Order: sequence, then structure tokens, then C-alpha cells
Amino acid sequence: MPSSAPVDADTIYDAVIVGSGVSGSLVANELSKQGFHVLVLEAGPGEDQTIRGYEKYLSRFYEATSKDNNSPYPANPNASMPRSPAVHSLAAGQPDSSSYLVQNGPFPLDSTYTRTLGGTTMHWEGKALRMLPEDFETRSRYGQGLDWPISYDELAPHYRRAERELGVSADVQDQAELGIPFEPGYVFPMQGLPASYLDQAVAAGIDGTGVRLDGEDYHLKVRAFPQARNGIPNAAYDGGKGYVPVGAVSTHQVEQGERCQGNNNCVPLCPVQAKYHAGKTLAKALAGTVGKVDLRTQAVASRVHVDHVTGRVSHLEYKAYADPGSPEHTTHTVRARLFVLAANAVETPRLMLASGLPSSSALMGRNLMDHAYLLTWGLMPGPVGTMRGTVCTSGISDLRGGAFRHGQAAFAADIHNDGWGWAGGTPEVQVLDLVDSMNAFGPDLRRGAVDRISRQLLLAWMVELMPDPSNRITVDGRYKDALGNLKPVLSYNIADYTLAGVAQARSLSRRLFQRLGVEDHTDYRPTDVGYVSYQGEGYVIRGGNHWSGTHVMGTTPANSVVDADQRSWDHENLFLVGSGSMPSIGTSNTTLTLAALCLKSAEQMVRQLRDETSAVELATTTGSAQA
Amino acid sequence: MTLSRITTKADLQDYLHAAMQLEHATIPPYLTALYSIHPGTNSDAFHVIRVVAVEEMLHLTLAANMLNAVGGEPDMTRAGFVPRYPAYLPDGEADFEVSLERFSPTAIGTFLKIERPAQAPSEEMRVLRRPKPRAAIPAVHPDGDDGLHFWSIGEFYAEIARGIQHLHDQGVDLFTGDPSRQVTPELYYSGGGEVIPVKDLASALAAVELISEQGEGLTGSIYDEEGELSHYFRFQQLTLGRYYQAGDVANSPTGPALEVDWDAVYPLLTNATITDFPAGSEVRAAAEAFNAGYAEFLSLVNQAFTGQPDLLIPAVGEMFALRDQVGRLVRNPAPGRPGVNAAPTFDMPETTR
Amino acid sequence: MSAQTRLEPFLAFSSRVTAFTVFELQGTGQAAAYLETVVGVVGEALLGDLLSIDEAIQREADGDAAVRDRLLRARIFSDERLGPVARHIIKLWYLGTWYALPKDWHEVFGSVEDDVTFVVSAAAYAEGLVWPAIGANPPGAKGPGYGTWAMPPKIPAF
Repeated sequence: MPSSAPVDADTIYDAVIVGSGVSGSLVANELSKQGFHVLVLEAGPGEDQTIRGYEKYLSRFYEATSKDNNSPYPANPNASMPRSPAVHSLAAGQPDSSSYLVQNGPFPLDSTYTRTLGGTTMHWEGKALRMLPEDFETRSRYGQGLDWPISYDELAPHYRRAERELGVSADVQDQAELGIPFEPGYVFPMQGLPASYLDQAVAAGIDGTGVRLDGEDYHLKVRAFPQARNGIPNAAYDGGKGYVPVGAVSTHQVEQGERCQGNNNCVPLCPVQAKYHAGKTLAKALAGTVGKVDLRTQAVASRVHVDHVTGRVSHLEYKAYADPGSPEHTTHTVRARLFVLAANAVETPRLMLASGLPSSSALMGRNLMDHAYLLTWGLMPGPVGTMRGTVCTSGISDLRGGAFRHGQAAFAADIHNDGWGWAGGTPEVQVLDLVDSMNAFGPDLRRGAVDRISRQLLLAWMVELMPDPSNRITVDGRYKDALGNLKPVLSYNIADYTLAGVAQARSLSRRLFQRLGVEDHTDYRPTDVGYVSYQGEGYVIRGGNHWSGTHVMGTTPANSVVDADQRSWDHENLFLVGSGSMPSIGTSNTTLTLAALCLKSAEQMVRQLRDETSAVELATTTGSAQA
Repeated sequence: MTLSRITTKADLQDYLHAAMQLEHATIPPYLTALYSIHPGTNSDAFHVIRVVAVEEMLHLTLAANMLNAVGGEPDMTRAGFVPRYPAYLPDGEADFEVSLERFSPTAIGTFLKIERPAQAPSEEMRVLRRPKPRAAIPAVHPDGDDGLHFWSIGEFYAEIARGIQHLHDQGVDLFTGDPSRQVTPELYYSGGGEVIPVKDLASALAAVELISEQGEGLTGSIYDEEGELSHYFRFQQLTLGRYYQAGDVANSPTGPALEVDWDAVYPLLTNATITDFPAGSEVRAAAEAFNAGYAEFLSLVNQAFTGQPDLLIPAVGEMFALRDQVGRLVRNPAPGRPGVNAAPTFDMPETTR
Repeated sequence: MSAQTRLEPFLAFSSRVTAFTVFELQGTGQAAAYLETVVGVVGEALLGDLLSIDEAIQREADGDAAVRDRLLRARIFSDERLGPVARHIIKLWYLGTWYALPKDWHEVFGSVEDDVTFVVSAAAYAEGLVWPAIGANPPGAKGPGYGTWAMPPKIPAF
């Protein structure tokens, strides 16, 4: 297959990157631009490098009876991915190992990620938020969580580069009002996406709502989210040079590069590639002529080998398979001057732990964070055209920061243009109920569909979670996948700090629904996966797919796994990149921040590769290849 | 019409009116073929035709920009702007007609002729004085006179380029149009080529060059300056069953194989007109609704070209709605015609204003 | 009865129970595939019975919608053999999916053994009538164009 470059065992690459998602692709592109020879290993298949291949994802999605967020991507026991329908409630003390991600509890987390070319950016929604400056110093400011080793200001230039690379559409004024500083005159690459009709209806009802938290007053305003999605280019971008949006990628010319068409399907797959996915960056990297990028798909990194004298990574082992349906594979070794693990915040620590490398800090896999999502849903008084637009255009971001974070989690809310789907109330469910239970047919059915779907409002409350060493990814010799690789084992719980934010969100949701005249259909049942009780009330909490914190960055080898450049404290030629490095995630979707971090780290990698050009003594292979 | 050699600014405006009509005239045939393809099949062919159709819309926009730049007034709503098919192209190519028909080898054969490279053997042959062909599209001032006819669209644009340069050399004050009428890249992009706002000689010639190169390729190459395969060779891939790739020469693509399923196509009535469908039938009503929608769409685009460029954004939404209407038409049997399906007719009222 | 001659009564029945016109049903391009799906699971005989009863109801109701709906409920939707199939035909049109009939239905009325829930085809998903009913596109297909979501919904009258 064209995506699988033969790997020459004798080649010493400048860098080997594990993972072709957003982190790996950004690093590959940056290194290649500086003239380096890079190998990218992708565990999953790479069928989407042509439009026809991409369309296979689309038709797989169309034909799937369960349209969960990994439904477009082929089932692949050799590089499995977690899927939300596979998550069950847990009995105390009984791990659920029935699917790829072993759930050790006590809380079952239904977050997922995608193992295919382009990684989870294939199914991500595309929100591209910067973190607030205060999110970088929650320990100093609020006595909660961990401080970052770098400040917002240090990351800001990299945020700008990330916004260019991902192609972010947003209104800078709107974001500045949230307390996010931008350089004078900055505009986003593209104009903000228009608010949906539903957003406008919600805004008309709730803008100006006052909220008092911990003695301070906040006023709510519905505003559009920054999104990595093609919109109207900003003529004023880059000092008036403007911005050219990046369209679909393909190995032959299709010139499909339209702006967002409102397909209402950002998750799990944008049919026209108006949404950024890492394949766009990877395509540039592969086409680059300064350096060289080789890509090997269906190659699962299986072991990191360290030279115990120098502490450097000597080589990496991976298992290559020809057929996803068969565990038959061959084991290979690859050598490089630099190793970059960009497999995501579950797979990267899983690989390190499976390689017997828990970090001298013992923090490998720990401090796992995600966002706790509380859904509230109801029916607007009249049809508002739900099920149109991107999955989400606007929301409430005014409670992302503030002194109340001393005692409870910050939170934000998404207004979902795709209705109740996340809460299980899809149009399909409504039609089945109308036909089977309401005995509706003909005109009653059509009217019923409008009544039940076009009025839907779902708010997804994103509540922050602080790093906790006991929330973690581990491995356990009892649990292996088809290739014999150790499966990730998840231990996860939700602290009262977060639950206090959840309760606050529920209470605010009631007020907003009262203002809007929304029929509240929110319903949490003890049998639901993710049901928790807090102060006498029940809630259902879902995952946000924002896995992070598992190879946390910090200021010393004792308090962290990686330094501010995402370089391993233990192994000087090893970088662990991605959201796993983040010490906190606030109420920000993680992708833009991890992209900024990767661009920053790539600069250090380049410096390091250049400094080492004089006869680096490469450790001789010490580990023996194991099948 | 009379297309004489361009000697005055008025001549140039006439040519640019004809250019808009020409670019538009290719769109209904391309869209008809495109949406005759069964959904989910013929991915390669679908994308090849789609790209070309989208770029014709870009060319239409560029022609409007040029006409606006030289002080003309685009008018896509006047009677006769939309041809009745089968039709000759308004640049006077008289050796073939263009039909509204399903995706088929015949249709692709016509598309290849539409996009054929400029290959007239000599300067004299480039512009031929020939009798006006039957049913030629009345481009600007339908007056029945014999006029100039071009061997190809490329030759037609070569004359526009020559005319612009000539008038400029003569010291004619050409670029007198209102700059706020220009459509800018913010308002239109599709992946292939970028809208060029026309404000001076350089941008006008660049716009002409972009249209010509996207159609027929850079002289002596199958690719244009941006490395984009020209329309002619894009279509040719469908007949040769293989993609071109970088480094290839004309007629010998060496890229990946390409699959065409000529049978996965709805059997549309060729060159359907509204009276082909019985009055009172659902098909007739839907075909009429489509025509009314298309007229509204042209009117909206025309407003975008005459001072409200922002309207191009909602126009795209209108176009997608029309796409869904065509989809319903082509899957319905044409009443009283066993084995034949309905089709959009593109019959416009005498004037759509 | 051939598939072609069956198509007309199938469309007529479908139009009544979905509240979409025959033109709109044909416009999905799925009519033949849905007919084939139904026949494939429940067989010619059952569908023939259902369509014959529907035709009888039309004659009897003679254009009176209230009478027609009462008869449809009495003779088709509440019929243990025909009701589940009729409801599944509605779901086919609205969602492009064939839902497996209940096990006990199969035990009583027989027919195919491997009746499973499936999306008829990728195209069928995109042609579900629930989407035009609510004035929206099926998620992931038929994108309505940039910014259209900011406008009030166009929910078609019928």
C-alpha cells in the first residue's frame, strides 16, 4: 500500500515519531521543514489518503447501525480503540476487561480516541480554545491542581502558530472579553462562524443572566467558540496578507476545499474535510522537500528500549501487521537520534509502562484528566431548527475562570446544534418512539417529528477536573490485545471539587431553562453508565475524550515526567508529546493547547538535533528483539 | 451577435458579457451529468465533474469581476442568458452542440470538446468568420449577423487578453468600475484556484490566464501554473481509465487506475423541456419549481455581481437546495416514458427579473 | 405479481403512512431497494395481503381521511401479523434502516431466519425522510451550505 514506506533496519532516522495524530503530524512537519529525516509509525490503517479512501469512512458511517464517534473507522483488534457503547456500569472491585480499555473503576469513563491515520482529529469536534492565563497557575492562585512550568504568555506565540496550522475561525474581540490576552491587532485566520438559529434563540432568552459565585457576580453571554473549521478568511490576518484555507487532502487532485457546509457531523467525521484533521498537516509533511518523512501504517509501537548506561533511548520495537483481521505480524526494530511518542495520553504512557519505564518520578500514567460532562436537555417552546449547522457553534464561557475556583470547579456550556443525540435522544429514537409507542403515522408522524426534534435543546456542561495521581493508566500482564501488547487499564474517579461544579451547572441549567420556557426533559437514572450521587442528588457524568496529564510536565524530575519542552527528564533523546504533558486543562478542549505545545517542543527538538550533529555516539542495540 | 475583433471598450464589454454567458452555459450540462450519477457510486467521475463545475463557477465569477472592472453591468437575468439545450457555445464554436444529458461516454465526449485545448493551426484560423450556426446562443445583442467564431474557449479568451492589452496600449481608460463590486477570495473559494479581484491591467490579464489555464492547461503542459490538472485532461482521465500524476505528458497518464461505472446512472431524458412532462403531474410541478428556483438563484448571484458581493454566501446555500431538488427529479420516472427518468430542464421564463 | 407491478401499490401505501408524496418517495431513489428489503424478510404473500387490504381500505374510505385512518388502524396497524411490518415500512422510509422484527413475531409468522437490523445502504441513510420532515440534512450528507444554520428553519408544509 502506498502509505507504507519500507523501513530500512540500517537507517538511523533523525527522529521516529509514534502516532500520526495532531501531535505527531505537527512534529513531523516541523522537523521535516528543517531538513530532518523522520519516520512516522501509525498503529492503525491509512485508508484515507485518497478521497475515495476518505469516502470509505463516510460510507462505513452511513451504513453503521450504531453511529458512535468511532463508527466510521474500521474495527481493528490489532490496534483497538475504546468505544463508548462498550462501557458498562462497574461493580465495586470488579474491573471490566470486556473491551480494549480495561475499566478498573470506581467510575466508568466512556471517553474514546481513534487509532487511524490522523488520530482522534478524525472524529474531534474542532473546538479550538485557548486556555485562560489563570489556568496555567491554578495551584498558586486557587490552591488547586498543579501549576504549569510555563505561563500563558510563553505559550501565546505558539498558540498563534497553532491557530494558523489548524485554521481557526473565531472573533478575537469575543475571546478577549473572556480575559484572554491577544497581541495588539491580532485577528484569527478566519472570521467566527455564524451562530446557529438555536444559539440566537437561546441568547435572546439568557444573555445578561446574572450568576453569583463565591461573592462575585458574573453575567452570561452566548458567544461563538473558536473552531478549527474553514469559514470566511480574514483579509486582515497576518498583517493584511490574509489566510488561505486548507481543503481536502488526497493523493490525486480533487480540489475539494470548501468552507464548512453545515453537515452537522463534525463528530464523528466531516464529509467535506472543512474541519481540520491531522492528515492535512501530515500531507504537507509527506510532500515536503526540505527533509523527508516516511510513513509506516499498521505498525504498532510495542517497546521502547533504553541504554542503561547513557539513559538514552536506543531503539524502538514495533509490530507490523498486513491484515487487521489477523494477529499475524512481524516485529521490527527502528533506530533514530530522537524518539517522539505522540500516541495520545493513554497510549503513550501505556507504551512506556509496557516497556518497563514508569519514570523516576513514578508519575507515568498518573494525573489522568478529562472533562466531566453533565448533559441537560429539554424542548424549546417552538421549533428552532435543531439538527442544523456544525455540531456546536456557541455556548457559555463566562464561568471558565474566577475566584470561586478555590472551592469548586470552573465550567462552561456548549449549546448542541445536534440536539439530544449525546443524551440518547437522537432523531432515530424519536421516530421509533412515535411509530412504536405513540402509534403515529402519516401527518401525525411528520408533525410529531418536528415537535420532538426541531425544538430540542441540549446543553453540555464541561466541568473541569484537577490532576489526581490516583486517576491513572496502568498495564497489567493479564490484559493483552490481539498482537500481545498490554492493554491500558484505567482507574478513574471524580472528586468532590468537580462534583460541586457539576451541581452548580445543574442548578444554573434549571434557571436558564426557566428563563427560556424550556420543558426540562433531563433525566438521570441510577442504572445509567456514569451515574453519581452528590449531596443527595443524582447526576450522570460522561467523558469528554480530553485525555490528559499522564506524562505531566513540571519543573523537576521529581515532580514531573517531562520538562517544559515535553522532553523526558529520564531520557534526553525522548519526547513525550501531547495532552499527556498538560498539568491542568481548565475548561478548554485540549487540542489547540497541545498543538501549541508540540510546536514549541519541535523548536527544542530542532535545536537538539542540530547540537548533536557532531558524531553522536549512538548506543548499540541492547535489547533483543522479541516476537 | 457580432463578435468582431476588440477595438473599443464597448467591444470588450460585449466579449465579457459573452464570457459570462459562456461560462454559465457549461454549468447546467455539467450539473446534469453530475447529479445523474447514483449516489455513492462513480466516486472518481463524480469528483472530476464536480471540480470542473465548481471551477466554471469560479470562471463565471472572474468574468463578472472583469466586466465590473471595465465599467460593465453583469446581467444574468435577461432573456436568453440561459440557453435552450442543445446549444452551441456562445463563443461561436460551431462544430458541436452541448446537451443536457446523463453521465455517459457521449457526455464526456462533449465535455472534452468544451474544454479542448486551443489548437487552431494559425493566427488566421484562430478567429474564423463562419455562418452563424443553427440555435447558437444569442450572447449579447442577438441580431442575426454573422460574427467571429472561435475554435476553442482558449482562443476566445486569447482575444479578450489581446483586446485588453490593445486598449491599454491605446491609452483607453479601462478600469473605471466600482472596486466595491469585486468578488474577493474571502467570499469564494473551493480549493481549485482563487478569485482574483480585477483592478488593473495585471489583474485582468491574470484572471484571463487563470480561466484559460484551468480549462486547457499551460501552453505545452497538462498542468497550469499552480500545478493543477486542466479540465480537458481531467475529463480525459475518465475515458482513459487512469489518473494523471506529476511528470506525465498529454494522453499518457500513469497514475492510479480509475473506475467508471457507466451503468450506475439514472436514465435521464436528454435535453428535457418542461412540456415533456404532463401538466398536472408531480414531476411537472417539481421541474417547474426547480426552474423557478434556478431563476431565483441566478438573480441572487446577479445581485452579488452588481454591488452586493456578500450575497454569494447565501447563494451557495440556494445552490445546495437546488442540488437536492435535482436529486429528486432524476430519480423519478418521466411520466409516460417507460425506462426514462425526469430531469431538470433549465427552462427560464422570458425574463427572470 | 412482479416487483414492478408491486411498486405502485407499495408506493401508494407508503405515501399514506409517511405523509410524503409518491414523487418525494421516488425522489429518494430507494423505492425498489425498500420493496426488495420488505419482500426479502416477510415474503411476497404477506406484503401482497397488506397491500390488498390497503387498497380495499382506500376504496371503502373513498377519500375520507378520518375513515381511512380508522380503517388503517383497525385492519393493518393493530393486526398482529401486518402491524409490525407496516410500522417497519414507515421506519424504512424515515430512517433508511430495516429493524429486525421481534422474535415472537417470527415464531408465529415464520419467514427468514436471519432477520437483523441493518441500514439498507449508505444512500438509504442519506435519504431518510425524517430529515426533510424537519427541514434539516441527514448528519454527514447533503450539507446545506455555509451559514444556512443561522437562518430560521425551512420546515416544509405538507
